[in-house]
Amino acid sequence: MRRQRVLRGLVFGIIAAMVLATAQPGPSQAQASRVVRELVLVTWPQAQNPQQYESARIAAEGMRQLGLKVTVRTMPWEQLADYVWEERQKWDMTTWQMVGRPERSDPDEILVNLFSSSTAKDGYNFVGFIDPKYDGLAQAQRSATDPAARKHLVDQAQQVLADAQPYTFLVNPKSLYAYDNQVWDPHTIVEQKGIGIKNFWTFVQAAPKGAQKDMVLNALDPILAINPLYISGKVDSWITELIWDRLVRIGPDGLPRPWAASAYTWVNPTTIDVTLRPGMRFHDGTPVTLDDVIFSFMAPKGDKVPMYKPFVANIADIKKVNATTLRFVLAKPQAAFLTSTLGKLNIVPQHAWGPMLQSLEGKKDNAQFLQEKTPVGSGPFRFVSWTRGQEVVLEANPQHWAAPKMHRWILRTVSNVEASLGGLRNGEINFLSDYLGDPMVLNRLSRQDPRITVVASTDIGFQFIAYNERRPPFNDVNLRRALTMAIDRTMIRLVAFKGYGEMSDSPVSKALEYWHASRLPQYSRDVQAARDLLKKAGYEWDSQGRLMYPASQSETLEVAR
Amino acid sequence: MPRSSTRWFAQRLAQMLLVLWVIATILFLIFRLMPGNPLVAYIDTTFTTEQKQALIHSFGLDLPLWQQYLIFLRESAAGNLGRSFSFHAPVAQLVWETLPNTLVLMLSAVVVAFLLGTVTGAFLAWKRGTVVESIGIPLVLAVRSAPEFWVGMILLAVFSFSLRWFPSFGTVSPGAQYASLWQRLTSPDFLHHLTLPLITLVLYLQGLPLLLMRSNMLDVMEEEFVVMARMKGLPERRILLAHAARNALLPVVTAFALVIGYSIGGNVVIENVFSWPGLGRLLVRAVAAKDYPLAQGAFLLIAAMSIVMNLLADVAYTWLDPRVSYAKR
Repeated sequence: MRRQRVLRGLVFGIIAAMVLATAQPGPSQAQASRVVRELVLVTWPQAQNPQQYESARIAAEGMRQLGLKVTVRTMPWEQLADYVWEERQKWDMTTWQMVGRPERSDPDEILVNLFSSSTAKDGYNFVGFIDPKYDGLAQAQRSATDPAARKHLVDQAQQVLADAQPYTFLVNPKSLYAYDNQVWDPHTIVEQKGIGIKNFWTFVQAAPKGAQKDMVLNALDPILAINPLYISGKVDSWITELIWDRLVRIGPDGLPRPWAASAYTWVNPTTIDVTLRPGMRFHDGTPVTLDDVIFSFMAPKGDKVPMYKPFVANIADIKKVNATTLRFVLAKPQAAFLTSTLGKLNIVPQHAWGPMLQSLEGKKDNAQFLQEKTPVGSGPFRFVSWTRGQEVVLEANPQHWAAPKMHRWILRTVSNVEASLGGLRNGEINFLSDYLGDPMVLNRLSRQDPRITVVASTDIGFQFIAYNERRPPFNDVNLRRALTMAIDRTMIRLVAFKGYGEMSDSPVSKALEYWHASRLPQYSRDVQAARDLLKKAGYEWDSQGRLMYPASQSETLEVAR
Repeated sequence: MPRSSTRWFAQRLAQMLLVLWVIATILFLIFRLMPGNPLVAYIDTTFTTEQKQALIHSFGLDLPLWQQYLIFLRESAAGNLGRSFSFHAPVAQLVWETLPNTLVLMLSAVVVAFLLGTVTGAFLAWKRGTVVESIGIPLVLAVRSAPEFWVGMILLAVFSFSLRWFPSFGTVSPGAQYASLWQRLTSPDFLHHLTLPLITLVLYLQGLPLLLMRSNMLDVMEEEFVVMARMKGLPERRILLAHAARNALLPVVTAFALVIGYSIGGNVVIENVFSWPGLGRLLVRAVAAKDYPLAQGAFLLIAAMSIVMNLLADVAYTWLDPRVSYAKR
């Protein structure tokens, strides 16, 4: 009985203390509301993405030196993406990444979709960056067909972004791949600018040295679909680009070059003539015709191929000029047309996909839900088999004009990173195509075992911290610049990325030497200069050193939940 | 079958259906209440609102929740588990493609573990109070308590990476083609790949039957009929095997049925360590990607399997031990 009373007294005491503590008057009311609220930086859990997690921790430490209270909060990727994407009024800052893909070798996709005001509501401009001058530049480069003029506009757009700092750019990470140099002739392994050695050109050209003629690769994630009309995932795209040909491919230099098209000529800024390579055949033996090509580009204009629809939206018409040449007529000039449309769409056989698309009429399904039992393309590799969760097997197509030198291309799903390394050493795999582990471990392996060659190349992708401009104080360019100056980005490069990355200053990667703007402001780390910048902009600090908005402004927002 | 047993059976069936319905309802709600949404997998620089609406529509997520629920119940009852959001293939097909791998691994491990466990358990009971017991029991406990992923990684490091006796991932060698599922499952290549995951799983599973058998044996050995047998002068081995062990086996049989029931769900940890393409890995992916149909369908199937195995355990019990009867109450 007595013990109970003591316990009850204790509980009351604690509650009373808590009530008193919250009711305690702080600094004067007017001053308190000028103090910048607690800011929340959301990031991936350490286990899911250690690089981003470490980056967030280091960045938050720098921000705190400006007198900000910063909390790092982790969320699994699926939840984080939903939060950042769907609740655009609610979050403050997030770590994010753009991954490198061949079609991002042209800066158009990134420059237009990430920062245009038109994509701020529900597209990829999730930070809500609005700048009419920028919109003008991004649109102008899109229609500038003169390369020099376009380069100038792309430079200017990068300059606007560098001044506005909608993101703090961290690094262009280095992509890391390895292969067995006793199985594959190192001279035939191709490094593609901004992509690394795991690329289309390597797969077509790699020459076996001995009896092992199968390339066995690894992927951490399972294959979701093998469908030429559906962009389903990172790993799936490695397969589709081998089975299906495209008119144009992005070359190892990062620039578009003719592929299934033997040639192309711009007739004027909205007209391009494309000549189809003669003698092409699909894997089922039927010839590739101009009608197949027209079908491949016109089918997405309907409602049944939604993922490719944006890439053909600008095509007004496709006409046959003669037996081998097609004329694409565009609605308006599009400088990146070669990369973002001709280099992106797969050439599919009309006799297979025509009826399949027809069968969808009147149903709510679209082409994404179709899976051919044996996918048929005209590319350098033919489909052999797919065992779900385990492997996809392709074989060289000897009839192709660029017939691969290897016999088979086998992609294994290996969910255990250590096992993929062990497998590389064992010879169970001979090309390490997906590695997210510690770069040091891989390098040590190659030092111990001279058969293993590791190649690190600066990626087109980039890592960054994004600021939600819908929420003060991030609507203030001075604050964003001060944040970039306060964050120890060199430390992030060395610690979070273990040195495997290049400092980034633009959404256009340094790997794209032609497009990357030189002489952008660098915002080297200087906390004092950052504080001076804030002071000049009217910010002040209270007696406890907490950052306060300029006198005209007060805190109106709740702490991000 | 006597009338009372028929009634008992009917009652059990009704109970099973009720349990399944409750599980289906919980599954339906739990995945929708978790944060995140199935559309994030599609987020890309060129992802448009139009595409998003089309996806929501084709997934049926534009309907009110109660309608989605009714459709889900109706379709599940009809045996239609729907189509996966992320794989875009029928859930039944996905489960069907991965289930054989899981079943072969789990069932073989359960059988080996129970055979090994029961025999060793009886042996340790017999060796009560000896040095063998004082070494054996801590050893069994230590092996049983070691985390599976750790045991798996050790086995990989030793027997695969260093000695190169066994492969380190998958169910068959790269590019190996088989005419049928049966041919694949019985090929030496498959058995070679099965060895390490099987050993890991057996080490994990052996603890339960072993300890259960041992303590049952110790109980049974105290019983009067064993004392009686000893008084009759029967040899110790005969007492142990023909009298004690047979009676001590009963709870082990129940445990066997139950373990098989929940083994259907696969073993996520082992499947990941050995890149074993089974149901467990599929489920993890489904939950992470908010793939409602796949997660619901697969979990529902697993639940149904364990409920059925539960029933079988009960039936087996009445059959093995006539003293147990569910009919008369």
